[in-house]
Amino acid sequence: MSGRAGRLAALAAVAALGGLAFGGAAWAQEAAGGAAAGAREYGQFPGIGSRAAIWIAAEVHLMFAAFVLGVPMFAMVAEAIGIFGGDERYDRLAREFTRLLLIAYSATAIWGAVLLFFLTTLYPRFWSHLASIFEVSMWIYVGLFFLESFTLYLYYYGWDRMKAGAAKYGHWGLAILLNVWGTAVMFIADSWLSYMMSPPAAVTTDTAPGMVQLWSAINNATWMPINIHRVIANVVFGGAVVAAYAAYRFLAARSEEEREHYDWMGYVGNLIAIGALIVLPFAGYYLGREIYEYNEQMGITMMGGFMSWLWIIQAFLIGVLFLAGNYYLWVGMQRIPGAERFLPYTKWMLLVLVIGVIVWATPHTMIADRAELEAMGGSHHPFLGVLGVMSAKNTAVNLMILTTFLSFLLYRRANKRPVASWARAGTLIQAALFVIAAAIVLFYGVYGYFVTAIVRIGFSVYQVLAVLFTIVGVTAIDVFMLRGAESRGAVRWGKMPERSQYALFVLAVTFTWLMGLMGFARSGIRQHWHVWEVMRDTSPWAATPALGYAATMISVCVLIFLGLISFIFWLGGLVEKPQLVPKKA
Amino acid sequence: MWATNLKILGVTIGTIALYTLVANVIPQIESEVPEELTFTGEVSAAELVSAGEELYAGAGGCTACHGLGERAPNLLTGEGDQGPIGARCGTRVEGEDCKTYLHRSMVEPGAFVVPGYQPIMPDVSRTLSANQIWAMVGYLESQGGQVDVTAADLEAEEASAEDPATGSGAALAATTDPQELLNQMQCLACHRLGSQGQEVGPPFDGIGGRRDAAYIRGSILDPAADVSTGYEQFAGVMPTNFGERLSAAQLEAIVDFLAGQQ
Repeated sequence: MSGRAGRLAALAAVAALGGLAFGGAAWAQEAAGGAAAGAREYGQFPGIGSRAAIWIAAEVHLMFAAFVLGVPMFAMVAEAIGIFGGDERYDRLAREFTRLLLIAYSATAIWGAVLLFFLTTLYPRFWSHLASIFEVSMWIYVGLFFLESFTLYLYYYGWDRMKAGAAKYGHWGLAILLNVWGTAVMFIADSWLSYMMSPPAAVTTDTAPGMVQLWSAINNATWMPINIHRVIANVVFGGAVVAAYAAYRFLAARSEEEREHYDWMGYVGNLIAIGALIVLPFAGYYLGREIYEYNEQMGITMMGGFMSWLWIIQAFLIGVLFLAGNYYLWVGMQRIPGAERFLPYTKWMLLVLVIGVIVWATPHTMIADRAELEAMGGSHHPFLGVLGVMSAKNTAVNLMILTTFLSFLLYRRANKRPVASWARAGTLIQAALFVIAAAIVLFYGVYGYFVTAIVRIGFSVYQVLAVLFTIVGVTAIDVFMLRGAESRGAVRWGKMPERSQYALFVLAVTFTWLMGLMGFARSGIRQHWHVWEVMRDTSPWAATPALGYAATMISVCVLIFLGLISFIFWLGGLVEKPQLVPKKA
Repeated sequence: MWATNLKILGVTIGTIALYTLVANVIPQIESEVPEELTFTGEVSAAELVSAGEELYAGAGGCTACHGLGERAPNLLTGEGDQGPIGARCGTRVEGEDCKTYLHRSMVEPGAFVVPGYQPIMPDVSRTLSANQIWAMVGYLESQGGQVDVTAADLEAEEASAEDPATGSGAALAATTDPQELLNQMQCLACHRLGSQGQEVGPPFDGIGGRRDAAYIRGSILDPAADVSTGYEQFAGVMPTNFGERLSAAQLEAIVDFLAGQQ
């Protein structure tokens, strides 16, 4: 990025911060005016209504925020690989990630200001409640935001000056610091929204907000599960958006050198996204369990109430992610000498994935009226009821994760010939680990049909542990076994069919849409409460909409986000061409 | 490059359109806001049933569990060899008529947990008003039985709400008869004693042989202090306010009674 463009980005971010400050002042006036008049609880946004306005502002802000929080994590890792592994490509990659980050950062702040304006003008009563409890954390938030911004500027603009010797380690320290500030900012914002879902039990409709202890409101039942889930999801999301950016640059490349660079960058982005995606369901399981622990009714509303169909849509989307991610890897194997020996297996892996998606997307517990129950001849469909239960779904998703990991493994080993004396034994142990994990998953999947629900829930832990153990064990063996391995030929970066790049676009769009869907699930389970069982939503938009309306809103948000980020990336491309590094010998 | 841009746009728009379409063709269920009900003195059974039906199928959230056959008993259809809820509610608990049974099941859900199900029912009074709850009682009675909810029930509810001496958090009647106290405190909803009660918590049968009086006293006053092995999943179900509701004499009467169950 040129100095001029950088200054423009910095100016925009500072202007947005000014907007935040102005928004805060506006809110203070609004709150004071509201208290004086004693009346206004809700504002009216023209045309689309207040709920839709706040929905768009919050969701688009969240999408940008996820991107600018996720990317620094793997920029930090990439720079570390560059420093400690001696591979300069990764240092350049980290720098290019950061360049994207810098431009997207101001957009995040602008949408944050929009959200704050909308909250203060459209939902003043609710915002007053939240601010009364969290005011101190809001001041800290602003302070951390300043620190994060200026650490980012120092990190990016200091890249050349701090490129060697001890200064390089100092530069990497800035990357760590950037992540610390960013994570702290997210944790604070998470405390506000998780309080809305799960306020402390002692807080009731009669509790004055000023009497609520700040730490008890922050450290509520769903705060830490949401923090963990979001940290991982941000990495997934950032990886997917970076991969899509690389795909675009690959398709637009005018030289072989550019094509090689962006092919590699797309591969790395996808690897990060799919790798983090594999552990995301475990964080989701933890969050879901905490929601049930906090309030059984809320948990049931989420999984079996009016939101039950949402999980079928989620399964469909995740199915697309698994299929597109694996497809990209399989196509990518065509550019690796030696990979042809693994290609016959892909059709069987595809079969496992397709069957897994079908089982996972099978509905089971659905709201049905009396006529529908009678038509089905019972509370469940006689055939689908068997596949729709958690025993079948957990089995399916665990086998899909194992299959995807196998794809990665084959990709990684495609052009390598191990020279270790124990290579054959090691490969056999790896195969045995896969077979044992699959057998454990299948065994508990089938056994789950013959035990009570409370016992069955515990089985999912054994299935997950078997899969995780295999992933860790097989990876460890692979790392040692392939040390000093002979090459069957260098990866032909850039020799990738164009159709593979469209899979990266599908991945980015699907991740973005999925983020919107899960945001609706998390927020929607509060139903007609701003703060669950503490503050009712008495606005005209209090009813929680059906999935069709929600899907339309999500699509609008996704289009706005993708449109804006494409524009931002295009702008970035205008002012600077990335410095490409010759591939490693 | 324009052709490539158009292809990318097509893939992006097509993917988003597909997801939007799928979400729009599935059944559309909105979570409604419970409508506040105001009944006059001449409320009819039909009015109650109609309002109750709307709440049951919508904002009450009842269908998330009831009617699915595994989380909670079926109410609109038969449960086992019994008829719908209106036909069976009067015989569910000895001494409780249908109306009282249904009402208490909603506002004191731990009182009558049907065998085979877990105590997951929330206290409906946290989200619905008294009138809304009575409307649902009327609707459930209409499922195979007679609706006998009247304006008098609604008025009594209002009076009860204004009288701090009633309700689940209130002090217990001045008796030191342990069996009467066990009934008032609804202990047998979760603890078995002879042919009565259910086993959500450890049975009272033989408890004096397993635990001493000090332990029993401590468990009543602070149920979370030591959860019995095998009942961990129900930790937190037992109320924690018996120390406030029982007088010292009442507490000791119960402790002596239970310690004597050898």
